[in-house]
Amino acid sequence: MKIEIVLSRFFSILVFGASALLAQEKPPAGSAERGYEAYMKYQCYTCHGTVGHGADRGTGPKLAPNPSPYAAFALQVRTPRLDMPAYRKPFLSDQELADIYAYLSSIKPSPPAKDIPLLDF
Amino acid sequence: MSDKGIDRRSFLKGAAASAAAIGTHLAANSALAQTEKPSAESKDSGRPSERVIGRPGSDFMVDVIKATGIEYIASNPGSSFRSLQESIVNYGGNKKPEFLTCMHEESSVAMAHGYAKAAGKPMGMIAHGTVGLQHAAMAVYNAWCDRVPVVMFAGNFLDADKRRPGVEWYHSVQDPAALLRDFTKWDDQPVSLQHFAESVMRAYKIATTVPMGPVLITADGDLAEEAVHDEKKLRIPKLTRSIPPQGDSGAVAEAAKLLVAAEQPVIIADRACRSQEGMKRLVGLAEALNAPVVDIGGRMNFPTTHYLCRSEDRRQLIGQADVVLLLEVADPWGQFNTISDPHHEYRRFAKPDVKTIHVCLGDTLTKSNYQDMQRFMSVDLPIAGDAQATLPALAEAVKSAGGIARRVSLTDRTTKLRDDYRQMKERARTAASQGWNASPCSTARMSATLYNTIKSEKWCVAVSGVQWNRNLWPATEYFNFLGGSGGSGVGYSAPAAVGAALANRDKGIVTVSIEGDGDLMYAPGVLWTAAHHKIPLLMVVHNNRAYHQEVMHLQKMAALHNRRMDTAAIGTTIEKPNIDFAKLAQSLGVHGEGPITDPAAIAPALTRALAAVKRGEPAVVDVVSQGR
Ligand code: HEC
Repeated sequence: MKIEIVLSRFFSILVFGASALLAQEKPPAGSAERGYEAYMKYQCYTCHGTVGHGADRGTGPKLAPNPSPYAAFALQVRTPRLDMPAYRKPFLSDQELADIYAYLSSIKPSPPAKDIPLLDF
Repeated sequence: MSDKGIDRRSFLKGAAASAAAIGTHLAANSALAQTEKPSAESKDSGRPSERVIGRPGSDFMVDVIKATGIEYIASNPGSSFRSLQESIVNYGGNKKPEFLTCMHEESSVAMAHGYAKAAGKPMGMIAHGTVGLQHAAMAVYNAWCDRVPVVMFAGNFLDADKRRPGVEWYHSVQDPAALLRDFTKWDDQPVSLQHFAESVMRAYKIATTVPMGPVLITADGDLAEEAVHDEKKLRIPKLTRSIPPQGDSGAVAEAAKLLVAAEQPVIIADRACRSQEGMKRLVGLAEALNAPVVDIGGRMNFPTTHYLCRSEDRRQLIGQADVVLLLEVADPWGQFNTISDPHHEYRRFAKPDVKTIHVCLGDTLTKSNYQDMQRFMSVDLPIAGDAQATLPALAEAVKSAGGIARRVSLTDRTTKLRDDYRQMKERARTAASQGWNASPCSTARMSATLYNTIKSEKWCVAVSGVQWNRNLWPATEYFNFLGGSGGSGVGYSAPAAVGAALANRDKGIVTVSIEGDGDLMYAPGVLWTAAHHKIPLLMVVHNNRAYHQEVMHLQKMAALHNRRMDTAAIGTTIEKPNIDFAKLAQSLGVHGEGPITDPAAIAPALTRALAAVKRGEPAVVDVVSQGR
């Protein structure tokens, strides 16, 4: 198990290091509507919020808008860096993953803090 | 007793005698006959109803409770203390203490817990020594972990010869406190009224001596119901309070030297301050050192508007720190290390050679069974002392340690520290803006809207399930934030908020809470208590329709066990049907708003709710919210 962790870490560093390259690769085709369903069904929203905005108390980081490149995204979901639960292929298909990615990519940015009077603390 | 057995005339006489005593504070030397016939002229018919007790032991117990200054007794009524309850109401005039009708003993204790933090003094509670304390136990544990005083009384019938058959046996116990002894500071079961007087005073003093905690006195039912014998011999000792101990002066000087010499000192405060004065002292120390402060929030320790308040940057600050001063921190080890979940990987985020100083009384209040003492950490300079009491000496020692040159170099940090503070605040605002228009409503928007509603009031957040308030709101007063439950026992928030709101009612402070849906459903009857006693509280229900944390735990377990990932909602969510908290509140006589799914509808609902609160009523606003 230790070795697995070390290997996956090593691999993740490689992939993140190469993210500039990967960014140019096109993500697999997916449907944002189906992606929303899958995002809710597999409860990504519990830690990342329903619109991928991230959650209070460090529960999960923000995922959208502009999710990380697909390969990095997929690697994280399949073999998370730290405490996030792993979603392995038998329980979350490649298509579902692509759909979730399409959903996250479709999310529009929130208004910036400076334009929100209630955040003028 | 059958209806026939009641002699109306003697009943009325007895009532008149008690009525005469209403409001007579400290009537210990009252000339009332001890066990008397209803009147001299009445003929003794030999009926039991001829016998009345004009001066029951419970009247004296009320005198004792009054002498402590306890203003409220939270209780769900119970026969084992019926005499004491009657004495509180009829003999004591139901004032100081006033009997608060609670719907669960857990609520009674948690109300007392919240009240103590807002009032700065304990509330009383009474429960059956058996089934009542069993209900109360978790809330007592929270108060224990949070180092909060609660003065508890338990009804019991120790003398088996006097017990009625049936329930009274079920409701009697040899040692009522046994159940709670692992997490109370002290208890006693007095067998005489003088014993009761002394033990209550001792209990109150122990409860309010730092580190504070809950105490339990058994008020024996027979002692309460029977007549006072030999009144003249009874004495109520004067209540005196212990002065909190200051840390040893040599150790304080040593700590000051370490802190002044440090390049990256950090102060972490948890249950450090007890008052505005405590905060002022901590500001004084932090400014003298120009050291950032991480307020973990067990109490309100540091103004969030101060450039040295850097609570959200804890990890980063600890990672760089060379000297860390901990002030009454419940979990010191956890400030420097962590264990990942669920893989149990150990991670340290502090430097290996960071020097640590801890001003703390934790070691003076320990029991072995429950593990609230947290993981052991070797502190370089542990100072057994009260943080608030030690701060002035420490600040003075800091000012005199190091020469002028060092003091000038300390002020050189200011520009960077101010800049870091600004960036931290900017990050919080940016994070809060994410998902601003989402439905279910984001917790940041819920928090920011709440602040906007109450910002021109004096306000207190009694409890909150979200962190945003601390990260975003400008808080400068000790009464602004009351901290958490202590032991994380769910069911604390709603009653603690009601208790705090009661303490704040007369101070003109508007009390708000951000309440978990799961927490509220433990004992929602406390809303009725708030309505009944006209306790103004603005409660926002953070209604994520789940025991949200547990959903995440199940997801982690499913992943760990390499199993399907779409079942975590089973047993963890509160849906199908959804609970309508506005209707629940309304059914209990409380102003109710919601369920709100459109974030733009939060503000008008809060405005209406605040109007109810300003009229002196409780109000509930149900916001259907994101998980966190
Ligand atoms: C139990 C909480 C939890 C759940 C459920 C969860 N995540 Fe995460 N996620 C995290 C945490 C915590 C991180 C931070 C890195 C880590 O712990 O591995 C993270 C990180 C990520 C990242 C990397 C983001 C970045 O900027 O580095 C992505 C992408 C992600 N999660 C996607 C998902 C998706 C898609 C799902 C559902 C299929 C999901 N997560 C479910 C907690 C969770």
